[in-house]
Amino acid sequence: MIEILMLAPFLTGIMAFFLSRSSGRALLVLTGAFHLGLSVLIWIKRPVALFPDYFAVTPEGLLSLLVISLLFFLIAIYSTGYLKAAEIKSEHIFTGSMLIFLATMTMVTMSDHIMVMWIAIEATTLASAPLIYTHRTKASLEATWKYVLICSVGIAMALLGSVFITLAMDIGKVDALVSFSALTSVAKQLDPMWLKTGFVFIFVGYGTKMGLAPMHTWLPDAHSEAPSPASALLSGVLLNCAYLGIFKTNKIMHAAGLGDFSSTILIVFGLISIMAAATFILKQTEYKRMLAYSSVENMGIIAFGTGIGGIGAFGAIICLIHHSLIKSSLFLTSGNMLLGYGSGLIEKTGRMAKLMPKSFVAFFGGFAGISGFPPFGIFIGELFIIVGAFRTGHFFVAGIFILSLCVIFAGFANQVMKISFHDTTAEEIKITEKASMVWPQYALLLTSIVLCFWLPDSLYQTIIDAVANIGGGY
Amino acid sequence: MTHPVDTILSLALLSVLFSLGTSHLTGLIRFVAFQGVVVSIVPFFIGHEMTGGGLLFTMVTLWIRGVVIPLSIYLVIKRVAIHREVEPIIGYHASLFAGLVLIVAAFVVSYKLDVPLIMKSVLLIPTAITILVTGMFMLIARRNAIAMVLGYIMMENGIYLVGTTFSTRAHHIVEFGILLDVLAGVMVMAIILQNIKQKFDVVDTAVLRTLKE
Repeated sequence: MIEILMLAPFLTGIMAFFLSRSSGRALLVLTGAFHLGLSVLIWIKRPVALFPDYFAVTPEGLLSLLVISLLFFLIAIYSTGYLKAAEIKSEHIFTGSMLIFLATMTMVTMSDHIMVMWIAIEATTLASAPLIYTHRTKASLEATWKYVLICSVGIAMALLGSVFITLAMDIGKVDALVSFSALTSVAKQLDPMWLKTGFVFIFVGYGTKMGLAPMHTWLPDAHSEAPSPASALLSGVLLNCAYLGIFKTNKIMHAAGLGDFSSTILIVFGLISIMAAATFILKQTEYKRMLAYSSVENMGIIAFGTGIGGIGAFGAIICLIHHSLIKSSLFLTSGNMLLGYGSGLIEKTGRMAKLMPKSFVAFFGGFAGISGFPPFGIFIGELFIIVGAFRTGHFFVAGIFILSLCVIFAGFANQVMKISFHDTTAEEIKITEKASMVWPQYALLLTSIVLCFWLPDSLYQTIIDAVANIGGGY
Repeated sequence: MTHPVDTILSLALLSVLFSLGTSHLTGLIRFVAFQGVVVSIVPFFIGHEMTGGGLLFTMVTLWIRGVVIPLSIYLVIKRVAIHREVEPIIGYHASLFAGLVLIVAAFVVSYKLDVPLIMKSVLLIPTAITILVTGMFMLIARRNAIAMVLGYIMMENGIYLVGTTFSTRAHHIVEFGILLDVLAGVMVMAIILQNIKQKFDVVDTAVLRTLKE
């Protein structure tokens, strides 16, 4: 069943390269629906993989998988409307790459073998590169080049780190599979020096892909130059995939009794990312780049929460889920704005509340959610992280954390007010707001709100299982 | 006594110095291809007997790292690079000097590390570290996009050598997956290089500086 989940989008992706525009769009939605259905089935049944050495159904993998599936389905629906309006030249490459990208991300969530995880994450880079170059402009080419080179080099570091972990096994005379679950159970016997070295390299490698500062330089370029459905996928789920690699290695570290070492690294880089995002958001002139920096910020929050551990780790997973839902909705809305105003600059926008009322609702709702207003999940997640930080005595870093969040909120709010209410030179909007281009955003935001008031038991239990090892839970 | 593998590894070390000193892309690509060949044949010299699958995998690695990857970049150079200079940010003499310092440092580090080796070769770990770090150095010290891709390939070669040195638990399927990823990565980069040439008319990364902050 797991294998079908990976293979189906891969095969339809290859098919999509040869299909016409309209059938390609239909295939995108159909595969999304099939993938979502199968993911839910896997969530309920928790089957065993056909190749248990390489793949396994883990709680953290399942969480990411369900988020990926849901997001992809909604983004596919949005894409049908977007592709009609945007007139992309080589649309078959876009749809094909989207589907293969989905296949590689599914593989990441199901990987249990350390090297297979690496293969899958590198494959996501390669599958998403054509998406960023969809518009065929000089700027998008530059973004693609930076993305492929920086991420490939970064991820090569993670490969080196994985090799060091096998070395830690050799020195510790451990005879086990090189998989995350097997290593977590024998973690105490691994050589601590090489395990630490391995973690550092894996952290730097996957941290590059996750967009943690100072390795984040590719992220704003790639997210702003890619067409909006692709940006939504990149920001909403690709970053989570890289985080999964760090999260699983962190589990081994905790099981080996080296949790303090990995936590410190996570906290420090988390804070650096949040502060870096704060400085860039304040003076941002383009709205998609602003959203991209907000992703850097949220990845920082998630890394910070994971480092805090305990209730903070629970908060981090909550933030992870809600960030995916809300940020992808924001990126989709930014697609409407780009088509409507014809420019990515904030100064060219304005009076969105009047000119594009439906998109405005999604945009403003998304803004409220992402900056941590109460009804949305990010608020709850951040609250848990702060409580966790105080409980573990991290008063000073918690102070910096809260202060940075305030700065980011101020910067973000300032820009959003300009976009929503300021006067504009744009007299009329170039698109009509079709249902397919606003409802996916509403659905994403609604899911986020529903999950705040009603967290199903099975979802709650899965999150608790995922973070149990790093002292998670209440 | 000198291990037979040390002889070819010393040549690989020498090729690292040459690749730092060369100003021509075509020269650089030959050295990278040579390093690809050397790192792929090292498994032949590892003591224990090789299975049929192992032999096949080593041959495939040799073919991909030594021939297919360098050749694909060579074809790109043929098509796009009119100026075949590597466009250094750090000059050739300084690069050479850095290379020498790096080799010495690699030896010092590998003596300090207490790593169980699967064969008695003095040069294995120093060579692996040298190739890996030289690759990174190329990425920083050269402005030409093709030279940067070659730096990336060198880095991957170095990591592969580190992997074969340490790990006795080779899963050929997994290693093959990694190899395919690297190959696909180089292919994607080759396509991007051609597009850069079409859009900007040069493959100098100085033109790729419009996106900031």
